[in-house]
Amino acid sequence: MVTVKIDGIEVQVQEDTPILKAAEKAGIWIPTMCHSELFEPYGVCRLCSVEVIRGKRTRIVTACNYPVREGLTIQTNSAKIQWIRKIIMELMLSRWPNVKVVSEMAAKLGVKESRFPSLERDEAEDACILCGRCVNVCREVVQAEILAFAHRGIKREVVLPFGDQSNKCIVCGACAHVCPTGHIKMVVEDYKGKKPEFTLGVKTPISVPTLQAVPRVPVIDTESCIYFETGGCQTCAKVCEPQAINYKMEDEIVEVEAGQVLLTTGYDLFDASKLAQYGYGRLDNVYSSLDFEAILNSTGPTGGKVVMKNGNEPRSVGILHCIGSRDVENHPYCSRVCCMYALKFAHLVHDRTDAAIYQFYIDMRAFGKGYEEFYSRLLDEGITMIRGKAAEVVERSHGINGDGSLLIRCEDTLIGKFREIPVDMVVLCNAIEPRHDIEAIRRIFSISKSPDGFFLERHPKLDPTSTMSDGIYIAGCAQGPKDIPDTVAQAGSAAARILSIIAKGEVDIDPIRAFIDEKYCAGCRMCNNLCPYSAIDFIDDKKISQINDVLCKGCGTCVAACPASAITGKGFSDAQIFAELEGLLAI
Amino acid sequence: MKQYRLQVMVCAGTGCVSNHSFELKEALDREIKKHNLQNETEVVYTGCNGFCGAGPIVVVQPDGIFYQLLKVTDIPHLVEEHLLKGRPVKKNLYTPPAEKTPIPKMADIPFFSDQTLIALRNRGMIDPEKIDDYIARGGYKALAKVLTSMKPDEVMSEIKASGLRGRGGGGFPTGVKWETCKKAHGDTKYVICNADEGDPGAFMDRSIIEGDPHAVIEGMIIGAYAIENVHQGYIYVRMEYPLAIKRFQIAIQQAREYGLLGKNIFAKGFDFDLDVRRGAGAFVCGESTALMASIEGRPGEPRAKYIHTVEKGLWDCPTCLNNVETWVNVPQIILKGAKWFSSVGTGDVSIDPWGGSKGTKVFSLAGKVNNTGLVEVPMGISLGDIVYKIGGGIREGKKFKAVQTGGPSGGFIPESMLDIPVDYEELTKIGSMMGSGGMVVCDEENCMVDMAKYFLKFTQEESCGKCIPCREGTKRMLDILERITIGEGTEEDLLLLEELSNMIVESSLCALGGSAPNPVLTTLKYFREEYEAHVKNKKCPAKICRQLLTYTIDQKICLEIGHGCGVCKKNCPDAAIIGERKTVHYIDPVKCGKCGACYDVCNFNAIIIE
Amino acid sequence: MEFEPKIVAFLCNWCTYTGADLAGVSRLKSPANIRVIRTMCSGRVDPTFVMKAFDLGADGVLIGGCHPGDCHYAEGNYKTLRRAHMLKKIMRKYGIDEKRLRLEWISAAEGDKFQEVTTTFTETIRSLGPLDWRKRIGKGDRTEHTVAV
Repeated sequence: MVTVKIDGIEVQVQEDTPILKAAEKAGIWIPTMCHSELFEPYGVCRLCSVEVIRGKRTRIVTACNYPVREGLTIQTNSAKIQWIRKIIMELMLSRWPNVKVVSEMAAKLGVKESRFPSLERDEAEDACILCGRCVNVCREVVQAEILAFAHRGIKREVVLPFGDQSNKCIVCGACAHVCPTGHIKMVVEDYKGKKPEFTLGVKTPISVPTLQAVPRVPVIDTESCIYFETGGCQTCAKVCEPQAINYKMEDEIVEVEAGQVLLTTGYDLFDASKLAQYGYGRLDNVYSSLDFEAILNSTGPTGGKVVMKNGNEPRSVGILHCIGSRDVENHPYCSRVCCMYALKFAHLVHDRTDAAIYQFYIDMRAFGKGYEEFYSRLLDEGITMIRGKAAEVVERSHGINGDGSLLIRCEDTLIGKFREIPVDMVVLCNAIEPRHDIEAIRRIFSISKSPDGFFLERHPKLDPTSTMSDGIYIAGCAQGPKDIPDTVAQAGSAAARILSIIAKGEVDIDPIRAFIDEKYCAGCRMCNNLCPYSAIDFIDDKKISQINDVLCKGCGTCVAACPASAITGKGFSDAQIFAELEGLLAI
Repeated sequence: MKQYRLQVMVCAGTGCVSNHSFELKEALDREIKKHNLQNETEVVYTGCNGFCGAGPIVVVQPDGIFYQLLKVTDIPHLVEEHLLKGRPVKKNLYTPPAEKTPIPKMADIPFFSDQTLIALRNRGMIDPEKIDDYIARGGYKALAKVLTSMKPDEVMSEIKASGLRGRGGGGFPTGVKWETCKKAHGDTKYVICNADEGDPGAFMDRSIIEGDPHAVIEGMIIGAYAIENVHQGYIYVRMEYPLAIKRFQIAIQQAREYGLLGKNIFAKGFDFDLDVRRGAGAFVCGESTALMASIEGRPGEPRAKYIHTVEKGLWDCPTCLNNVETWVNVPQIILKGAKWFSSVGTGDVSIDPWGGSKGTKVFSLAGKVNNTGLVEVPMGISLGDIVYKIGGGIREGKKFKAVQTGGPSGGFIPESMLDIPVDYEELTKIGSMMGSGGMVVCDEENCMVDMAKYFLKFTQEESCGKCIPCREGTKRMLDILERITIGEGTEEDLLLLEELSNMIVESSLCALGGSAPNPVLTTLKYFREEYEAHVKNKKCPAKICRQLLTYTIDQKICLEIGHGCGVCKKNCPDAAIIGERKTVHYIDPVKCGKCGACYDVCNFNAIIIE
Repeated sequence: MEFEPKIVAFLCNWCTYTGADLAGVSRLKSPANIRVIRTMCSGRVDPTFVMKAFDLGADGVLIGGCHPGDCHYAEGNYKTLRRAHMLKKIMRKYGIDEKRLRLEWISAAEGDKFQEVTTTFTETIRSLGPLDWRKRIGKGDRTEHTVAV
């Protein structure tokens, strides 16, 4: 620690602390325009010039980067310093008369107008004042090194590489964030003609994944975090006192030894943009059921309010059932849950807005306990139910009356007429479909899937939760579309099955094993390489092969191959099969 | 080695090369062959002789007969007369102005005889592309001495005792710099040679490199040895010096081949190597921090030097940067001793390293003197001696007005101060500086406001633009000066100019900004009456600022000598000249745009400027 | 009376056998000519079983296994595929039409495929007519007269 005297106030700071920080500690304000805590002092505005007195020598230095030493005396507001600051402000005012930060600083330093006429005068209110904050933040913090100064002297300017948008720019917005005049702006552009996809609102790269996350710990999104783009920033690590930020943490594969596995891998939502006629991803205010679920969520992007992209409440909402399900072109099966959540949506929209609500359904399937009653209630609430699958959603053209910017076309099969219903918002009830990686998972566990693509149960009626592989169980939408009560029931059943085996402490295995009769084995070793489980060893002493009972799964491949018929498959011996054959063919 | 009766030394410095000295050599070779003299006469290229105003130069050794301003057509006669018959050709010899008898011998010409050569000791004597020539003149002897018989500390104290100070302009004592670098923490250190000579009119570094590159290399190796932990050095040369870059590259290659660079030099376990880095020709890159930024591959912009580069320089390692001329002095100090070196110059450096200026300084003498070129003079010589003795006085017998030293950042020194000695402190005291050694002489026909504007325009254009005072301030200064030179200046403008200049000096980030107002400040100080004439009377006393002049036509000359030729009328862009051919012409003062085109084209000097 | 062929089907426990079960559960009608023998894996099907079946009076043999890559025992079905090729060669030598042996991959989920395979195979065998191999060997008639389809 060293002691320095700033404007008569003694203050103790670490050696080499910049004067600016020491003055802050002493409660003394020093003006500056280019300084930021984010990066190394740049020292170009020269407004923080102060007088440093050491012995007999007096020097003018910049406070932002001059390191203090023991015994320094510093004058931050002497007549000379005031004079320097005044002329600097005059120079700045003469060039940027309308920039707010400049005129404010000038006013603070008592400068009203400039004595210098300037040919480089820039009248813009958001003119670039060449403070270099954007360049420094881009180079030192973000480390993308996109922004830089070009040209010399009075022609100096901040530019992008070759004056053009660069794909090396990671669009982090740090430059716009530090720009004191607002010269740098972030603009949302259409991406390749496609409207920006629906997102869950503004999100920083560090966030708690979901509200109910356990443990409730924030995570870093490596795709949007600056550090993972350029190796720069690391601001979070700098501010985290317990030093809990770990950039090296990675997704890792944890191997757990388990005797039984319950597969509840869930489902994917059908991508409604495949059905171009409904305009998903193309038209504004056409949402998937999951998007709409987010809108209705009180912690969602709209805070639970049902509003359109322009912020207004919709005057009418259309809910379209069976998008991708009950559709021979896509999924022939029924997704089961849509009818009921569509009714829930209708109920909530009715609750929160005055919008007219239309449901477009093929068949209303209110199959569960209390569901049909809910459906009746909805009908009483005044929801319009139209029996007929919607044909298409288009932007409403002129000449069609009604409240809505979109138009739903459909055939109402109850009245046998073609109808066009104008709505402001469309909600699509996407089909539930198998997870995209279900094939890979199926192979890992050696189980099958049914023609609809979901996992196949051992028996559709008698054993809907276990599979053909012992110890592998399935539950929920991994097995087929189902609602929450059904999922809970199935999962409970699976858990009970698993627990019963754990409780027993031992496992029954099939007694089907192969066995080599030493007497007949010639030691030809033909079976050795055939065994997929490497369960057959050759005993050198005896010159015969032997089967390991624990490894053997009883497939019988070796039995079939043994030229000496020395191998017998228990339960499936040659004699047994021959007997079966004889029995079968006797009649 | 083959002995020759005569050696013809053809100057191959950039000045002479651009005056076709390569073609001279071809012609010489051709003629010598014609006369069958090739076994007794050798034609050699040498580095710059310094007397660039007299180029292209050929010196015939061993007698040292100095030929100037040669043309290819002069060669057959010269070979026949001198090389064959032994009679120097009078027509091509140097004749001092206002005299009639030519001076045949180089050593007798005052331009050369009044100089003291340390840095330029090999000029015109060796072929810079041959390391053997350098060694024959005692080259690398100092390095051998250092590596075989001296400890690094001994080298250091020798340099300190010599009183050598930085020749790049700052005048920082070299020994002190080396010592600080040596004491700085760091396992890797660097030495850099600053050959980014950017001052307009200054070319001593270029001339040294082109004439004697090995001397720089030798100095750098000795410096690296003395500072310790230095195994890599860089020579930063501007791209505009292609010949210098080439000579350096050849020299480095030769030194490596001779084992003078690389691993285990002189088998003493000392490793050091050099590389050339080319600068893109930004003036500000002569500033040490900007230069280092440029070597690192970043934009050449200076940074605050509150932590010195000897502690945190190139790649944040301690770095010792010296100018070409400084490095060149080092081997001579080692060879001849600190005492010998410090016997030349002013003051006493035995206690205070800043106590005096020792050794010699190379100046590039330019402007309105008779002998322009490169001169090396002992410290302490008066400016008057340089201008009048070596420079041979003002051209055409005009009156001396001022001498500007130190490049664009230096100041103007009036006649009353011509007797001050060349010394770092003395020059700084009167508002100028030693700088890298530019010296521009102005006569009565130079307008001081215009000169100040010229130099300021240079620094303003070369300002990197990083800090506000330099970027915005110098531009506003230039605006004011421009207003003054077109007659729109006011007395308030003068005060504002002075105030702004002082503020820029105080608050700029680097020395470029800090010294850019010097030409303005010194002219304001010593030639204020000229400014006032511009501002109050709207007149330019030196008749340079055209917007302040009135143009008239001398009727007598126009009619009687020129016969009303009408050239002026044809060239006037404003159609301000009235008069038919073969009659007197007049200038309409209302229409006259004061461009001066008529003055430039009149073949009879009939245009009068007042 | 129309000829009713006797067909022996060796079905792998994990795929085809379960597929057959699914066909039953799904109320899919399949011909009664199929007489099923369950093996743990199609790889257990010893070629002798097939020849024995023909010997004992079978008119056709169906081997059902898992789809390639899906074998419960990793690669038993590949071995079956190899053996089926070999069997067809032997059958040719013995004068048996190789169409009388059929190897099919039917997964546990493919009840409909099981139905389709069994139906078409039965039709094929029916059109080939009875094999009566034992009788024919007794007569020294070693070549089956293939019936034009």
